[in-house]
Amino acid sequence: MSELLSVENLTMKFGGLTAIDDLSFHAKNNQITSIIGPNGAGKTTVFNCLTGFYKPTTGQMYLHQLDHKVSLRKYTDFKIAHVAKVARTFQNIRLFPAMSVLENLLVAQHNQLMIASGYSLYGLLNLKSYKEKEQKAVDKSKYWLDIIGLTHRADDNAGDLPYGDQRKLEIVRAMCIEPKLLCLDEPAAGLNPKESADLNKLLKFIKNEKKTGILLIEHDMSVVMGISDHVVVLNYGKKIFEGTADQTKKSKEVIEAYLGVDE
Amino acid sequence: MDKQDIIKSFKDSLFTGLIALALFGPIVGLRTASKGEGLFITPQWGIVFLLVGLCIFGRFLININSFRRTEFKFISVFNSKLSSITEDKAKHFAITGILFAVVFPFLPFTDRYFMDVAIMILTYIMLGWGLNIVVGLAGLLDLGYVAFYAVGAYSYALIATTFGWSFWICLPLAGIFAAFFGILLGFPVLRLRGDYLAIVTLGFGEIIRIILINWYEVTNGPDGITGIPRPSFFGLPFKRSPDEGEFSFHTFFGLEYSTMHRIIFLYYLILVLALITNYFTLKIRKLPVGRAWEALREDEIACKSLGVNPTNTKLTAFAIGAMFGGFAGSFFATRQAFISPESFTFIESAIIVAIVVLGGMGSQTGVVLASIFLIGITEIFRDLEQYRMIAFGGAMVLIMVFKPKGILANRKPTILMHGDKK
Repeated sequence: MSELLSVENLTMKFGGLTAIDDLSFHAKNNQITSIIGPNGAGKTTVFNCLTGFYKPTTGQMYLHQLDHKVSLRKYTDFKIAHVAKVARTFQNIRLFPAMSVLENLLVAQHNQLMIASGYSLYGLLNLKSYKEKEQKAVDKSKYWLDIIGLTHRADDNAGDLPYGDQRKLEIVRAMCIEPKLLCLDEPAAGLNPKESADLNKLLKFIKNEKKTGILLIEHDMSVVMGISDHVVVLNYGKKIFEGTADQTKKSKEVIEAYLGVDE
Repeated sequence: MDKQDIIKSFKDSLFTGLIALALFGPIVGLRTASKGEGLFITPQWGIVFLLVGLCIFGRFLININSFRRTEFKFISVFNSKLSSITEDKAKHFAITGILFAVVFPFLPFTDRYFMDVAIMILTYIMLGWGLNIVVGLAGLLDLGYVAFYAVGAYSYALIATTFGWSFWICLPLAGIFAAFFGILLGFPVLRLRGDYLAIVTLGFGEIIRIILINWYEVTNGPDGITGIPRPSFFGLPFKRSPDEGEFSFHTFFGLEYSTMHRIIFLYYLILVLALITNYFTLKIRKLPVGRAWEALREDEIACKSLGVNPTNTKLTAFAIGAMFGGFAGSFFATRQAFISPESFTFIESAIIVAIVVLGGMGSQTGVVLASIFLIGITEIFRDLEQYRMIAFGGAMVLIMVFKPKGILANRKPTILMHGDKK
């Protein structure tokens, strides 16, 4: 299994507060790597550094391609998704609520469609080549909607979907940019047990069929322990443990800091 | 509705009356009049009490309405009529509207005054449609849209008077200039959103107006630019007596000379320009860039996470919106043949924003209805002179009370997977 992401000595300071302290870990291709830890441990900050929303104080993040590695520090903002192909979802769902489900997925394919529409020129002229590309984008959206079973609601507003479906839609929207690394920030938050099980299936499908590496922040241990290949545990910005799900469950430090003991 | 509610709403209305008294008391009640030497205050308590009474009564009605379990029947009927327009009959409505607009100049009751009002309404419709791209689609509240209108008007006026080029060359040039100013404004405000963006654009509108007043060498300052060439009918001028060896419109077609020819031509000109704006907007809304505008309005952070470049997306919205403002400005200049900075004050921006917001953000038909309603009402109450702005304000209040999201607020998806079933 080849390396996909390596984070080396990442440190992020906000004024006097050190949110991430000298963090190093690796994530591999075709694996689900979970980051767990108590609230305020710096998990979302790691995501924000990886996806270009923050610039880390020090440290390096590399995304491994076939024969070379790309430093994620070089890219900021929208280029992380556009050039480096790192996609993410958010802790509080960020869909485009007043736009239809299909439109949400098409916005994710904006950059290809923009080129296909000749930066709007071909599109304005109604050229056939654009129509074909647009149809392809719709087909791709349909493919993903079929997988999460929302095809019949494609023309409804995304904001009108039930909460669980919105979560799934946000994940497949991120998949529409064909990422190499997918970062999911608490995808199971607020889901009932059946929806969590569905989510597990979807994530396994993405990992196995799409060969996409997944980085997962999650508090729901049924999700984390059920699907993670690798677990990184943070506390106060420091890595306190790293290993497989089973090892993590047994680790004394992790139980003390986060998992707790059954009474 | 029980007794409690009535008492509550009555108390609330009295409170409204108190606020109205505090406002109208000094503003309307105390009037200064000069008698002989010095100023004297003449109180006008009668009017004040009338206004305060009106406010109490109006507030009471609104309260009663909102406390009722069901809405008043006429409102729900009105609302369902409006929503039926958007769902089933949108297309019929648009076609009927355009047909009516085309035959309007030849209807028996149409006179010069009606034509002037129609041209004015169409100008506002076009401006509304242009601003709709920026405010309605991209969600960038621009309170200085009149700046682009002014840039379009002045570039048209300056190019036409300096080089003597024809309307059809100056028009696109003016549009390009305005678009350039749109990008110029766009750059510094890229990071701003909401209220902050509104303040900066408002300032930009004022900057342009003040430059127009003070850059005397170029813009002729407050005196404005006179003698702007009128548009010609594909080379045929609308003159009573054409020069030797030349035709004018009426001699070429063998018609009796009439000033109405020019007015009718201007009417069709603005109609075509407005329809082009509309067509373009409807079209580009369905393209990736249009979808990105709307996505940006919904959630900028999500856009970034999907690789949409917010800078370019915002700048295109500003530039295209400004371009149509520039076209409208050129039309304004050629119609008036005289422009001065006075025509481009903040109130114009405010009216255009009001049209877009009251029409229902992003709704093209809504802009038409709001323009007709707002401009029409101020025209109907023209006899009231300065007080007609009260009618304007009243119209805005009415729309906001009964249709808080704008006249037509439902949005149709730009692309459908299952076709148009409804």
